Amino acid sequence: MKTTVENPKSQIPNPKNRIPKRFGFWVLGFGICVCLSLAPVLAHHGFDTEYDAKKKVKLEGVVTQVAWTNPHMRVYIDVTGADGKVVNWNLELTSPNRIRRQGWGPRDLVPGEKVIFEGYGGKVVESRGSLLSIRKAGSETYLFEEGKEDADAAAAEGRPVPAR
Amino acid sequence: MKKLSLMAAAIVIVAQVQAQEQVRHIAPANPVVADKDVNSQPIPRLPDGTIDITGPWFGGGSNGDIEREGGLKPGELPLLPWARELKSKRVPKDEPYTACLPMGVPRVNPYPWKFAMTYTAKGLTHIYQLHETGDAGAHRVIYMDGRKHPEDPIPTWWGHSIGRFEKDALVIDTIGYNDKFWFDSRGTPHSEQLHTIERWTRINFGRMTHQFTIDDPGAFSRTVTLNFTASLIRPGIKDGEDLLEFICLEDNQYGAAAGIEGVGSGK
Repeated sequence: MKTTVENPKSQIPNPKNRIPKRFGFWVLGFGICVCLSLAPVLAHHGFDTEYDAKKKVKLEGVVTQVAWTNPHMRVYIDVTGADGKVVNWNLELTSPNRIRRQGWGPRDLVPGEKVIFEGYGGKVVESRGSLLSIRKAGSETYLFEEGKEDADAAAAEGRPVPAR
Repeated sequence: MKKLSLMAAAIVIVAQVQAQEQVRHIAPANPVVADKDVNSQPIPRLPDGTIDITGPWFGGGSNGDIEREGGLKPGELPLLPWARELKSKRVPKDEPYTACLPMGVPRVNPYPWKFAMTYTAKGLTHIYQLHETGDAGAHRVIYMDGRKHPEDPIPTWWGHSIGRFEKDALVIDTIGYNDKFWFDSRGTPHSEQLHTIERWTRINFGRMTHQFTIDDPGAFSRTVTLNFTASLIRPGIKDGEDLLEFICLEDNQYGAAAGIEGVGSGK
């Protein structure tokens, strides 16, 4: 499985020399809180019953199907593992109507396109996941980001934009 | 050590709030008329002078927690002991709504809905309440032609509703409910004795209040009234200012990721 691994330590100059001793401790705590706040919420039913917030993944793959189906839209993506084995991920979004109101149309992503996505794995079947974000390989523009609709609505209404 | 405890407590609180949000099934806001614009236009009226309550609207009912969303404090909903116990035993996977069954009154999920006002040669004879999602494709009928409730109605998901206008408020009286739907995703129950009175008042261009009275001696110790507010979907939204199609049973895979079978049993 081709998992993107980031090593935060390689990007931080020796923290012991410049940062107060307990700073990292609080950053860790804040980070955990932020991660929890980003757990997606599905409109037709809850997240907790099916998905595991501890199983966050960031993967690359090739789209095999974009299903504009009810009650929730799904994107199917072939992900090739390090051993060459291909796993077809089944990723759940919210309803097609909500996605459409968010600006994503049926021509925006089609089978055969390479994508990078983040999501949470299923509690029992890990490759049945909840999609958190997705963008085409080589593009920085996200087709879908959990919480974007909320942020857009807040901006339009003049409310503070919630964190994503 | 003290700071470690503080941080752990903060994390636990955030986790609990998040878990609660997820259980509530609250989703992000839909694009609605902003607070600053609720009086930007006069309240529209139909040619006969009737206030136009068509919508589409967002909100105006319960979804995650009827007690909280209806303006009550925790524990104020006067459930009878058996109903309180049943509620405590219910779990999300058994919610009928997750199996594409109707939500029932006064539930509205985080999608638009509308009152479709139907005129015939006799005037306004029916109002249909249409939900974009969550009602399994069904529609709710409110009879506006002056008929009475049947004496012995068959228990149904939406019950038998008769409506009338009192000045500018639409008042809907409903009996004949079944006891299968949940008032919210926490499993707040009711009985077949349920009788509801809804009072919908469009208070300005962008908002409509909903005073909802529960009269159910089978599950509640007394009559109780809850208050909700619906927001008008913002006109002019591209590809979304009106209701869109939704066929819930098309591809409902709820439960599969967790290996759960038999979802939506309504237990």
